[in-house]
Amino acid sequence: MDASQRAQPMVSLRGVSKNYGERTIFSDVNLDVSPGEVMAVIGPSGAGKSTLLRCINFLEEPTSGQITLGGRTIRAGEGVSGRDVQALRRKAGMVFQHFNLFPHMSVLDNVSFAQMRVLKRSREDANKRSLALLDRVGLADFAGSYPARCSGGQQQRIAIARALAMDPEVMLFDEPTSALDPEVGLEVLAVMKELASDGMTMIIVTHEMGFARDVSDTLVVMADGKIIEHGDPRQILSEPNHDRTRLFLRAVLGR
Amino acid sequence: MSFITDWLDWFPTLFDGLLLSLQITGLSLLLGLPVGLLLAVFASSRNALVRGICVGVVEISRGAPALVVLQLFYFGLPSTGITLSSFTAGFAALALTTAAFTSEILRAGLQAVPAGEIEACQTLGVSRLDTLRFVVIPQGLRIALPALMGFAILIFQATSLCFTIAVPELLSQAYSIGSSTFKYFSVLALAGLLYAAVTIPATWLVGVTEKRMSRHLTLAH
Amino acid sequence: MEALEAVLLGVPLTLLVTGASLSIGVVLGVPLVMGLRSRNMPIRSACRYTVNLLRGIPAIVWLFIIYFGVSIGAFQFDAISAAIIGLGLISAAYMAEIYRGGISAVHAGQWEAGHALGVSDWTTFSRIVGPQALRVSIPSMTSYAISLIKDSSIASTIGVTEIVFFTTQDARSGGGGLTVYLLAAAVYVAMCIPLGLLSRKLDSSLRKKVSR
Repeated sequence: MDASQRAQPMVSLRGVSKNYGERTIFSDVNLDVSPGEVMAVIGPSGAGKSTLLRCINFLEEPTSGQITLGGRTIRAGEGVSGRDVQALRRKAGMVFQHFNLFPHMSVLDNVSFAQMRVLKRSREDANKRSLALLDRVGLADFAGSYPARCSGGQQQRIAIARALAMDPEVMLFDEPTSALDPEVGLEVLAVMKELASDGMTMIIVTHEMGFARDVSDTLVVMADGKIIEHGDPRQILSEPNHDRTRLFLRAVLGR
Repeated sequence: MSFITDWLDWFPTLFDGLLLSLQITGLSLLLGLPVGLLLAVFASSRNALVRGICVGVVEISRGAPALVVLQLFYFGLPSTGITLSSFTAGFAALALTTAAFTSEILRAGLQAVPAGEIEACQTLGVSRLDTLRFVVIPQGLRIALPALMGFAILIFQATSLCFTIAVPELLSQAYSIGSSTFKYFSVLALAGLLYAAVTIPATWLVGVTEKRMSRHLTLAH
Repeated sequence: MEALEAVLLGVPLTLLVTGASLSIGVVLGVPLVMGLRSRNMPIRSACRYTVNLLRGIPAIVWLFIIYFGVSIGAFQFDAISAAIIGLGLISAAYMAEIYRGGISAVHAGQWEAGHALGVSDWTTFSRIVGPQALRVSIPSMTSYAISLIKDSSIASTIGVTEIVFFTTQDARSGGGGLTVYLLAAAVYVAMCIPLGLLSRKLDSSLRKKVSR
């Protein structure tokens, strides 16, 4: 599934750069993600992967460039309005490394809260939707518990349900399994895999090479603030174009 | 054991004084805490003027002794044409002190709410006000609870300063009994024990709350 | 200007009462914290009750008890002594709690390391745990000192001629009551600033010593 074959990309980045003062995190990134595409982003730590992901929904404001998400375009640097950012974020769901659930709300309320306050659904409708989603991630029995009572893997699945409840067009995953034991990470990856096969557009910053190879449609390798590879995962993983990629893969796979 | 009959004699009067002390404490907290919360929220405002005013009010009211604030309200304000009864001056001054001190406690509590949860709200499209109302403030209050309870004990003790502006609270009652019977030690000791009867159990309660909180918070992470 | 003079007239006694009672507290806090940590149950609970009572009863009540209530034969405390003794005892209780927090903040491994080297309990405390505990305690001690400067104003209620005493006198005799109180507040704020700076300096120099 080559990105260029699709007419209207779901997500498109044009000349996006991010600096903190003098320090450049990444510069001039161009990227298209088609509807239904699953893109994995890998690379050594400090390459700017997470920052790039956070720029897509303006959790970090890019220093320059233009981001289009589900037909809404925001150009960085010229007085970005809160309303535009709000509208763009509504189309993207995000899953964090550390889950970021609300510890003072029950599992059900975690998933229903934004539906009621943002989408103005009634409590009844919101809870109905939440229960369906919790069932989908295998956690309907936990609706009444508090996040602290759930394992890390369960918390991350709740966080996925919370993001899905807003009916996003794209899901952004920021190292969703990095804070989990490998075994526990598998249950999260299983949910993500199912989501991918249902046709959700996904961008995943990850260290899970197996997932990147077997589930993603395209693979992006970032290093030193640049995209150095972009294409078919199997091909990149077996025959990388770039020495930097080879070095990285040897370090990750060779242990 | 003549002091026992004395104490039984004095007790109803002192108890009335204690009730007034508790009433002043309650009113000061009722009035001061919401103001403290507003100061805490606006102290991190993006508007520099708002921020400056908040920080100024807090720093001056924290820097001056409560006794000075109290006497300023009672003896100082009349020169500007505002005359307050001693009771009103008492709880208004203590409410201002409460607002200033609790705003710092609450600010620390609000800041202790993990930034990741605020980011989660942003990505869900939750408005700034809703984030504050449903996520930051409920948790910040909970984190700040033990410190707030500790401060309530201090304000209860500070009501004794209202003696200097002739509010008939516990210490005033004890002092006036002392000056008519000359049994200062005995009556002041009884007053002291009445204060302690409130503060020592309350301090114990703070300790219990603190322990429960820390257990709750470690479970969450 | 006259009002400022009146306020400043009280500064020496404010400093004397604060300094003297803080010194009493810093010194007496040491035996008190040792009592709080004692293995002997009666000593431990006696110290616990003492600390709770000292902290649980308002300072002004203690001052009144000592000034109006204590008379041994014809002897009575003068106002300054009563204020210093009262605030000194209360400070001792607060210092003991601060020291206790400092000692428990030192990692238990330090005691174990001392014992493993065959060093006695006392030497481990005085040479290893104590200095580290003191360093941890410095910020709390300074903020206590700052609140003590303000609490010393209570001495005015038994007639000690410190800042608030002169302030009230001036407010009652003159007309501009508000100004003199605001000046008094400013003087208190000004006195607390150097303490804040001192604490930062002490903290960093002690930190160097400990880390060396």
